[in-house]
Amino acid sequence: MIEFTFWDILRNLLLAARWTILLSLVSFVGGGLVGLLIMFMRVSRNRVLAGVARLYIEIFQGTPLLMQLFLSFFGLALLGMTVPAWLAAGLALILWSASFLAEIWRGCVEAIAKGQWEASASLGMGRLQQMAYVILPQALRIAVAPTVGFSVQVVKGTALTSIIGFVELTKAGTAVTNATFQPFLVYGLVAIIYFALCWPLSKSSQFLERKLNAAHHH
Amino acid sequence: MRYQLNFDWLPQYLPTLIEGIGVTIYLIVVGAVVGCLLGIVCAWTRALGPKPLRPLVGAYVELIRNTPFMIQLFFIFFGLPSLGVQMNQLQAASLAMIVNLGAYSCEIIRAGINATPRGQFEAGASLAMGRFQTFRYIVLVPALQRIWPALSSQIVIVMLGSAVVSQIAAEDLSYAANFIQSRNFRAFETYIVSTLIYLALSVLLRQVLSGVGWALFPKRKAAQ
Amino acid sequence: MHRRLFLSLATLTLAALGTALPAYADALENIKAAGTIKIAVPQDFPPFGSVGTDLQPVGYDVDMAQLIGEKLGVAVELVPVTSANRIPYLQTGMADLVISSLGKNAEREAVIDFTDAYAPFFNGVFGPASVSVAVAADLAGHKVGVTRGSVEDLTLTELVGDGVDISRYEDNNGTISAFLSGQVELIATGNVVAAAILERNPPIRPELKFLVKDSPCYIGLNKNETALLAAVNAIIATAKTDGSLEAISQQWLGQALPVDL
Repeated sequence: MIEFTFWDILRNLLLAARWTILLSLVSFVGGGLVGLLIMFMRVSRNRVLAGVARLYIEIFQGTPLLMQLFLSFFGLALLGMTVPAWLAAGLALILWSASFLAEIWRGCVEAIAKGQWEASASLGMGRLQQMAYVILPQALRIAVAPTVGFSVQVVKGTALTSIIGFVELTKAGTAVTNATFQPFLVYGLVAIIYFALCWPLSKSSQFLERKLNAAHHH
Repeated sequence: MRYQLNFDWLPQYLPTLIEGIGVTIYLIVVGAVVGCLLGIVCAWTRALGPKPLRPLVGAYVELIRNTPFMIQLFFIFFGLPSLGVQMNQLQAASLAMIVNLGAYSCEIIRAGINATPRGQFEAGASLAMGRFQTFRYIVLVPALQRIWPALSSQIVIVMLGSAVVSQIAAEDLSYAANFIQSRNFRAFETYIVSTLIYLALSVLLRQVLSGVGWALFPKRKAAQ
Repeated sequence: MHRRLFLSLATLTLAALGTALPAYADALENIKAAGTIKIAVPQDFPPFGSVGTDLQPVGYDVDMAQLIGEKLGVAVELVPVTSANRIPYLQTGMADLVISSLGKNAEREAVIDFTDAYAPFFNGVFGPASVSVAVAADLAGHKVGVTRGSVEDLTLTELVGDGVDISRYEDNNGTISAFLSGQVELIATGNVVAAAILERNPPIRPELKFLVKDSPCYIGLNKNETALLAAVNAIIATAKTDGSLEAISQQWLGQALPVDL
């Protein structure tokens, strides 16, 4: 029968962690792009656009990521699109991340004093110009720390994709547990690997918050 | 592919769904109440408690916040029995929710405590209040009021995260959905229905939490 | 900026969808045209499908999948599935065939088609010697673990009613882990599955308490794919006579193929 050495266990988990990292990156970057779009819609003066964005955020923040994954997985296929597990997982994670990032960034944009809109409008700038040259550069500064902080949630969120059959760190963990009968060891190692991925992100978020927000404390 | 949506199964499986909703509500109530109490104790320890305990609580908070809930759940349910700690799936799910929310609420409440002006401690001392009395009346209540919106959001996030407890066969709403779709072969429709129920639950939970906020902090203005 | 972003997103989405196949008329033709057959196999159900030290699926079902790909003259793309999601995989076109120790019953026959049987399977209730259970009625008051949506789940649920505490896990990994960590006292699973676990010298030994049902394994495919069904049945029939299925059975089950399969 197949015997797993400690090295076999660790090697398989580390190999699978590559997929966790890749999926996290794709979801975070994709979520950022979609999130930016939703954020623009949300702060837009067009009521329909703002309403659609609100509804989007309400739905994706108000339902479990697990259900979104199931629906993306089985729903896309019913629309006639055969998608592999990684694509369905990536899509659901992108849409989910976007809803949180849009809200985080909206908070940052709105935190930039309202007077600045008026000041830049008096310079004859259009809404998009104001956004690009006045508001966003300032909002960016206060957005960095919470955005990095949210990336931790994305990494942890990828664990759920194991349930729809994407083989990443958690899925490898359950498969190896079953082949070795050592749940304590295997899930312990899985937890350590996640911690090693997430903790530096958490710490840098805290560090950035202290550093970048220092300017605001008089 | 011609796929017709079909909801004929709904009446037959309604009791299963309702039982699942019951378990999900049970988990969130237990998780929120006990988890927040744990969070208060931990926040007190980290901010004002005995120095030797502070790093221990810090390690607990960091460990929980930087690992997925599902792994915590698997570790408790499948891993702990090898140390002789055995519990059923509902106990394991409740424990995982409490431990998880405990860590997050600790950080949120601590931020509230740290924002308490120093003068308030001295004011408490001048009223001849003991350390615990000062903490309770002068530090904790205003701190909780300050962070109530953040804490409420976190409770909603934990409620939605509870969907994974079906992975250890705890019979919550997501378990009901998985159970039904393994019998009616209508995966998409089943998940649509359960997702809508979760959406309704999260809207409801937010209302309840803001009601609790009003009840807990009645004579004060809304959190600033 | 707003519009450009939207356009690039739309392009991205379209590019992603471009990989999707159009709705098909005949599955066999499409498989031959693509040169690849997608076959759903288990990876948590030894000896039918489990993972080796490189995490690739191996087992009876996996060999059967390779045999069918070889005879059809196409490459095999193995799609790992769990008991709970293998039929949705088929229904949603994410797999052309399910070779995942799938038992036949009326509910399933209403939604998918089955080929002839390709593997023997007896399911039963297993547990350590310390638990004394000999018939279904003895199960009252015991905790039994089972994989949600499996034939064991459906038959046991019907057999014992509400008096027995049945825990249903998402996949066989969950069921087996729950048993080995003592979270359930007994499990309902296949006899050869229990044998495969015993062989790995587990901390708690799943010994046979009683057999529930003779439920051979069939290959599942979508309804009304007559050409594919005929092709696969012909391959199974040949494999039964030319010794190739016998070899798979000897290797993974350690026993001869039953003549009446």
